[in-house]
Amino acid sequence: MMIFDQLKKNEPHLRVLTVSVLAGMLVLLAGLWWVQVISCRHYSENLRAQAFRTVRIPAIRGKILDRNGGVLAENQPQYVLGLYLDELRDRFQAEWARSRPRVTVTNRLPAWKRWLGFNPVSTVRVKLSKQEYMAHAAQTRYRAVSNLVHGLSRSLNQPLAVSYGEFVSHYTEQLALPLPLTNCDHRIMARFFEQTSSPRGLDLDVHPQRSYPHGPTAAHVLGFLVRDNRSASDELAFFNYRLPDYRGRVGIEGLYDGHLRGKAGVKSVLVNSLGYRQSEQIWSEAEPGLNVVLTLDLIIQKAAEDALRSRGPDARGAAVVMEVRTGNLLALASVPAFDPNVFTQGVSHDYMNWLNTPKLRPQINRTMQENYAPGSIFKIAIALACLEAGIDPRQKIYHPGYIYVGRRQIDDLAPAGEYDFHRGFIHSSNAYFVTNGLRAGIERIVRIGQKLHLGQRTGLLPGQETPGYLPGLNEIRTGWIPGDTANICMGQGRLSVTPLQMAVMTAAIANGGKVLWPRLVDRIEPQRLHTPDQVERYPVRPPRDTLGVSPRTLALVREAMRADVEDEGGTGRLAFVPGLRVCGKTGTAQITNARNELVGNTLWFTSFAPFEQPRYAVLIMVETETGGYGGMVCAPMAKKIYETILELERQQGAVLARTP
Amino acid sequence: MFDTPLKEHEAKVDWSLISALAGLMLIGAFFVASATSGNESSSSPAWYNQAWLRQIVWYALGMAAAAAVCLVDYRVWARWSLVIYWGTVLLLGAVLIPGIGSTHGWGARRWIDLGPLGFQPSEFAKLALILALANFLSRPRDELQTPGTFWKAIGMMTLPFVLVFKEPDLGSALILIPITLTMLYVAGVPKRHINRLIGSAGVLIALLLVDILFAPPQWQIKLEDYQRRRLLVYFGQDGVPAGASAEQRQKARREMRNYSYNVDQALISVGSGGIWGKGWRNGTQNALGYLPPAVAHNDFIFSVIAEEKGFVGSVVVLALFSVVLFSGIRIAGQARDRLGNLLAVGVVAMLFSHVFINVGMNIRLMPVTGLPLPLLSYGGSSVLSSLIATGIWQNVFLYRRAY
Repeated sequence: MMIFDQLKKNEPHLRVLTVSVLAGMLVLLAGLWWVQVISCRHYSENLRAQAFRTVRIPAIRGKILDRNGGVLAENQPQYVLGLYLDELRDRFQAEWARSRPRVTVTNRLPAWKRWLGFNPVSTVRVKLSKQEYMAHAAQTRYRAVSNLVHGLSRSLNQPLAVSYGEFVSHYTEQLALPLPLTNCDHRIMARFFEQTSSPRGLDLDVHPQRSYPHGPTAAHVLGFLVRDNRSASDELAFFNYRLPDYRGRVGIEGLYDGHLRGKAGVKSVLVNSLGYRQSEQIWSEAEPGLNVVLTLDLIIQKAAEDALRSRGPDARGAAVVMEVRTGNLLALASVPAFDPNVFTQGVSHDYMNWLNTPKLRPQINRTMQENYAPGSIFKIAIALACLEAGIDPRQKIYHPGYIYVGRRQIDDLAPAGEYDFHRGFIHSSNAYFVTNGLRAGIERIVRIGQKLHLGQRTGLLPGQETPGYLPGLNEIRTGWIPGDTANICMGQGRLSVTPLQMAVMTAAIANGGKVLWPRLVDRIEPQRLHTPDQVERYPVRPPRDTLGVSPRTLALVREAMRADVEDEGGTGRLAFVPGLRVCGKTGTAQITNARNELVGNTLWFTSFAPFEQPRYAVLIMVETETGGYGGMVCAPMAKKIYETILELERQQGAVLARTP
Repeated sequence: MFDTPLKEHEAKVDWSLISALAGLMLIGAFFVASATSGNESSSSPAWYNQAWLRQIVWYALGMAAAAAVCLVDYRVWARWSLVIYWGTVLLLGAVLIPGIGSTHGWGARRWIDLGPLGFQPSEFAKLALILALANFLSRPRDELQTPGTFWKAIGMMTLPFVLVFKEPDLGSALILIPITLTMLYVAGVPKRHINRLIGSAGVLIALLLVDILFAPPQWQIKLEDYQRRRLLVYFGQDGVPAGASAEQRQKARREMRNYSYNVDQALISVGSGGIWGKGWRNGTQNALGYLPPAVAHNDFIFSVIAEEKGFVGSVVVLALFSVVLFSGIRIAGQARDRLGNLLAVGVVAMLFSHVFINVGMNIRLMPVTGLPLPLLSYGGSSVLSSLIATGIWQNVFLYRRAY
């Protein structure tokens, strides 16, 4: 070995030299080992930090579909014309060369040089300080971009402009991303693609834009999105740049946001020392979100909303259509409704004012977010309590047109006369139900209410639901007077319900006493379905409760409800549908203010059909200030919905809601 | 002097040296190509103007020059050493005159333009000093013991040192010191002289550093701004006077960051290379311009190699240099006389100092001094002087048995 040869030789000076060189080389080796092997990770991270910019790419949001695959919410591609500044560096340099400040100076040349033909006048570049240089370079770049955009604006026949401020902030903060110029509609896209020679650096970027093709239809169920670029908890927390993303706020969009939004992807952009984009690489693809399939039927939903809106644009009300065997909701309509599209596209000032109108309150989901007095439709529950208390339905009560409870006189819309259960029900006689309700006792009524889970939420759309109010057993035992019971027998007083609860009650009458969980989400499935096991189903839940009343009682109530629609003198006559035996109950509750003045009415019609083998429950609720009766206003709306259902059944050749 | 008598079939050429040099030159050509290929300029020069080709041309010229050196016995060269020495000193003086010396657009005046090419006399001053010192020190042993000889030798070093320092080229000036010291030591100058010299030089350097790093501005020795900054960067100082306002301090820090930029980027290049490297021409630091294109192919060529070929590549480079250096030491041992011995030792000292300082600078072991890596860094003068230096070895090797 060469080294050891040296060490063996008897030359002390050279030996020392050999050892010194060897030591020096070993020091370098150790240093390199330290830097390249031990600290490699540290320096690689530094490299990544300075040379890579991570970009968060939002995933394609899942769709919301109705039971037949009809689209309630989807994504529309939105094309954005963007300019990649790194492709413009030639232009920047050219513009810089052209516009670099110069001065013409006259040099004092010696005579002989002038004689030789040297020109004393020459143009020289002005020497710039660093700040001047930077400012001038920024101006130059802006001018180059501005010229390009101006030319583009002419060729696309579309006014485009980039302000200096926008440009500078983009240049300093988002250089690795394209500079967005305009959103493209089909017209601009066509012109853009027609051009044979568009300048380098122009590119179309696609951003998914949430779209609700039916506008305000089922808006309260769907909810809406708000702009939110933040990372979800299972993603990378740090990104250099984030592309626009949205988060569901209320309704299905909010509740199932985790399923719908998918998983954002990561793109890394390699940038050079000046920050210009060099290349791009997808580190992880965005995983598209899942589709949520609802139990709603788009046609019935629209029919319900149209029926409610038939009273005019300022109509306020709610409609619930439910399958009585399963609790599946076919329609859950609340008017007035907002257009969820506006929240992603930007809300105008006028629209915002409209959204905040105190009387209309379009953002309120009237099917379950408001407390209402049920009025006479609560007589269904009172009837259950009375019949279960053993009151003979054939026993007649004379009713003079009013009754006294304590010292209070209660007027009645039903004409004076003799009333048994059947007549009392179809004329909605307050006298009959108050008298018999007082006989049955408040405790029975409250127990029926508890079986119906009044005063409790269904949990269908958390945040959009109020529990309503039902007095507890303690409350009726202390300080309760018969007048309170009388009020409840008329569906007023210390009782409030939501339309959804009343629909559940009606379904329970129709299906033989099962108090069901209303069901809205059928299943969650991938956007591209490969195998059936990727589907997450939300099966029909077992009934929440049973009424625990005798079949005879239920049959009596069902018969009374049929008569209310079909018999002469019934209040629900206007809901009569040829070919479908509708059974119903009307109601008109009075709304009084703090000074006990009448300020409006809540009009009701609740129903199920067909009488023989009930499949659907339809509930209509309308708020008015001008009076009116449930039988006059709501029953015709229910009729329209039933007609739509009949039409659908006829078209599909099968029943919508299969009876088990 | 030799353990084994020379035989007729003894080699005329030191093959291990030649192959190690060839390996280094090959690496040099490839990585100069890699370091200049990623340059941001949109128009790359024509093929005949590419840096790697120019480098190869310089290699060819250098080898020709080395061969020319071998034509004549080194003792003949030694006879002319004083002429060569004074000629170089003259050139060094001439560089300082603005009309003759050129700055090539940099701050320092180091080049003499000869038509289209420029050359740096400081590169050749090292060789001239080695030749002159070897000649001067190959005198009878008892003469070497006198302080007069010692101080004359120091004087011979000081003259070019001052001139090179004036250019200013601190690195090339400082490198004359280890060359001289090594040659004095090997020649057998009494240890106490050398120790005294090293001691006083150490004290001087310490004082200088303390002055630069800690003294108030009016007390500081006038150094070029960038030289002072390089030292401050190396010692991790921000160079802000004690009484400075927060704003001044911030400004100085920012400037400091700018100045330490090259070193930081070189470290990132070397460190991110890891064990196996990213592959030839796949290094991002250089291609994306983080490692400034102005220095990537010369002073910082080692970080390009280290990034693209990793620790393995660095070890290969170091191993090749080790082969070269130990061959040099062996040649020194085989030299016929003290003149040959000292010549070989001087070249060893010169090349080793370059390698150590340059590689050390790439991993922040040494301050930035702008010394090239022999044979690998792009640059005609450096390549020429390195190859001529190895030519001197070859010369000593070739005439080792002619006594």
